[in-house]
Amino acid sequence: MELGALVVVQSQNVAEQAGSSAWPVLGRTVLDQWVERVQTLGVGALSVVDREAPASSRIRTMVDWAKGGVERILLILLGSYAEVDFADLIRFHHQGQNRVTRVFDSVGPLGVSLLDRQTILKNPEGNEFTPTKHSSRYDFLGYSVRLSSPSGYRKLVEDALAGRCGIQPNGVEAGNDVWIHPTAHIDPSVKLEGSCYIGPYARLNPGVAIGNGSSVEHNCDIDIGTTLERSSLLPDTYLAPGLYVRNSVINGTRLENLERNVSVDLGSLGLASRRKPIARYSPRTVALSKDSNEPCVAISIARSSSDPALPN
Amino acid sequence: MTQNGPVVVKQLPESGAKYRRKQFLAEVKQLARQSYRPQLIVDLPSKKIGPDTLDLLLSCVEQVERSEGRVSVAGASPEVAAILELTQLTSVVNVFPSVSEAVGIEGAYPFDAPDSDDSQHMAA
Repeated sequence: MELGALVVVQSQNVAEQAGSSAWPVLGRTVLDQWVERVQTLGVGALSVVDREAPASSRIRTMVDWAKGGVERILLILLGSYAEVDFADLIRFHHQGQNRVTRVFDSVGPLGVSLLDRQTILKNPEGNEFTPTKHSSRYDFLGYSVRLSSPSGYRKLVEDALAGRCGIQPNGVEAGNDVWIHPTAHIDPSVKLEGSCYIGPYARLNPGVAIGNGSSVEHNCDIDIGTTLERSSLLPDTYLAPGLYVRNSVINGTRLENLERNVSVDLGSLGLASRRKPIARYSPRTVALSKDSNEPCVAISIARSSSDPALPN
Repeated sequence: MTQNGPVVVKQLPESGAKYRRKQFLAEVKQLARQSYRPQLIVDLPSKKIGPDTLDLLLSCVEQVERSEGRVSVAGASPEVAAILELTQLTSVVNVFPSVSEAVGIEGAYPFDAPDSDDSQHMAA
């Protein structure tokens, strides 16, 4: 086996509070985007682990893979979206006979490393997140966005809608840069202005207006007459009637206003609420390009130290 | 030539203070009855507002507009300003960071004839 890939994600609690790598972007999570990108390489082993899980379990996974014959391991600490050309990265790593190659963009490290089998076997207890003197730097010049804040998330949404990055909306193009998932319910009076995205099972009631650069993720319900402008509504969010949402991200009852850089709870004001999630739904189960009953990717998630082993 | 009425600064009661809020609205009604084109500047006391605050603000607007006046909100924190924009109250009230800025915009000068502990009249 040539290549294994270990993707380390933020714990769900942290991700929901701070952003954003767990939030879906036009119907698909950033994790999905990374996993699909990795899968195009034909990886022999792929595992997704929680960052809160002990480092020992991650190391054990990598050591097991190395002992099992995996030559190189791609380690991705999820915190950004970047369209890294993995084939080129592997070529660079191979040609330089590097032990560890770390990927940088113009801002700094992207949290993507390629580790050689020998390095893992020689130093299994080494902290895989710390650069070593043996690591080489791969400068990535393509598209990348840090997802540590709602503004990073919004940038990615707007870039995706404008076609400035490779993310394809999970829906059907119903007009010029207007993407709608077939399961969305949209009243005929709704105005869709400019590039926008309406996700699976979303409900847009009469008089709603969705402005340029806006996205409505799955199972959202926008009540009568509410307007969205350059804003994103995250899954399972209900919005009250007659609101004007601008330059914001709303996740359940939490509004992040990017212009004023404030976070406001709308629940106590009765302006928003968290809807009951649709049973057995995940963004991957309704990807249009796949069988609607099957996940697009088969991944295993290890969350706690009690897990006996990370499956390959 | 148009002429503005009196400029009145009043501090909005805290959320939940029912009696004080009732009294506040009564004073606003009286202002609206007794003056033409009053400029009511509502000074927000805290960083957060409740649903009753939004109701009270709307009631103020309703009363003051009957006399062709205008309501301004002063001392709004960024959080409150975000809520006022979200609820589209900014289409019926002006929002200012402070009372002095609200008064400055209204073109008024201080007039030291307060008629209660928490309100202040200014000439227009």
